[in-house]
Amino acid sequence: MPTIFTVDPRSGIPLYLQLTEQIKRAIALGTLAPGEQLPTVKALALELTVNPNTVARVYRELERDGVIDTSPGRGSFVSAGKAGVESRRAIADVARAAFEGAVREAKSLGLSREETHELMTRSIARWYETENE
Amino acid sequence: MTAPLIALNGLTKRYGSFTAVDDVTFDVPEGSICGLLGPNGAGKTTTFKCLLGFVKPSAGTVAIQGAPVTPATFEELAYVPERASLYDNLTIGQHLTLYRRSYKHFDAARAAELLALFSLEEKQKAQRLSKGMRTAVALVLAFSIRPRVLILDEPSSGLDPIHQRHVLDLMIEAAANGAAVLFSSHQVGQVERAADSVAIMKRGKLIVSSVIDDLKSGEKIIEAVFAGPIPDLGDLAGDPRILRTEQTGSLLRVVTRDDNDAIAQRIFALHPKSIRTIDLNLEEIFMNAVSGDQH
Repeated sequence: MPTIFTVDPRSGIPLYLQLTEQIKRAIALGTLAPGEQLPTVKALALELTVNPNTVARVYRELERDGVIDTSPGRGSFVSAGKAGVESRRAIADVARAAFEGAVREAKSLGLSREETHELMTRSIARWYETENE
Repeated sequence: MTAPLIALNGLTKRYGSFTAVDDVTFDVPEGSICGLLGPNGAGKTTTFKCLLGFVKPSAGTVAIQGAPVTPATFEELAYVPERASLYDNLTIGQHLTLYRRSYKHFDAARAAELLALFSLEEKQKAQRLSKGMRTAVALVLAFSIRPRVLILDEPSSGLDPIHQRHVLDLMIEAAANGAAVLFSSHQVGQVERAADSVAIMKRGKLIVSSVIDDLKSGEKIIEAVFAGPIPDLGDLAGDPRILRTEQTGSLLRVVTRDDNDAIAQRIFALHPKSIRTIDLNLEEIFMNAVSGDQH
């Protein structure tokens, strides 16, 4: 598998969160297809030069969220059965985090609820209508 | 659960009236890498010496693989001191031979691989090696015995950046294979990358001991700007989830240890003009910790 993840250990965002988000994003974008095998914990830890326990934690959380399936001896795979549902949820997760960040930013800059709402509505109109033309 | 491979319990070492290590308790389980950080003189090396049985603790206990240290402990324990001790008149190859004779699990093929990795050759004589190369030889020897426990004191000092990265990779590989690794470093970035947990010492005391990701999740700076003077913080000032608060004019900075979202919401209720949460990396957390009680 090619290197598709990059994490920044020097960031203040916990590594396991960075990696969890990237894997979910890769699934959402189809870079990782349903049924595709993920590298072993050891291989991914060595590839990214990060702690194996951190990678193991990521795999545990992804498994708990139903995004991947791990079977002892065989490895970890992107969930095939619930792939549709789970990857949509993964997409929603990524999008929701971005939304949350934008709203928090707007609020902390002192914009009112109405002003923030207006900005969001305009964004939605801009991106969704272009698509439908 | 099996016993952690490295365990320190109330470890204390006094030299006369000076306490070099003061009631230090933490452990490193199988498959884990712990980075030990601290300013010079914090007690890191003394801690290592106690762990290895080179120095007798004044109080408390240490255990390797669940047992007190005996000569047999060293069969599966690799120690790389800050200054590698090599026999100056022997070649690297002769050091390997010594190790092959002394260690049951010595892996000659692995040793050859590691020598190449660190650009070393068997025929080189120890006395001609630079400090960094001596460290590299000590690392080759350490990793060639297939240790279950690794104790590394500044394992990358004197190494170039590429060889430093190799050291991190070797630690990660060892941990992935079930070893416990405890290493000290002045390079916080290395700890942040390779370790899953961190222990920070200052003047002999253990001031932080945590999973690094948990530390980063909890420790944030919440920065709020008020239109006028900062209002009274009320009972927030004494909240145990807050490490420290700083007030400069209309700027309030709160360092949280936990639950930063909840704290941010409470500060938001005081109607600041703006508020933001700043993520802290390990270096910033380390600096906060070691400079904590100096003002």
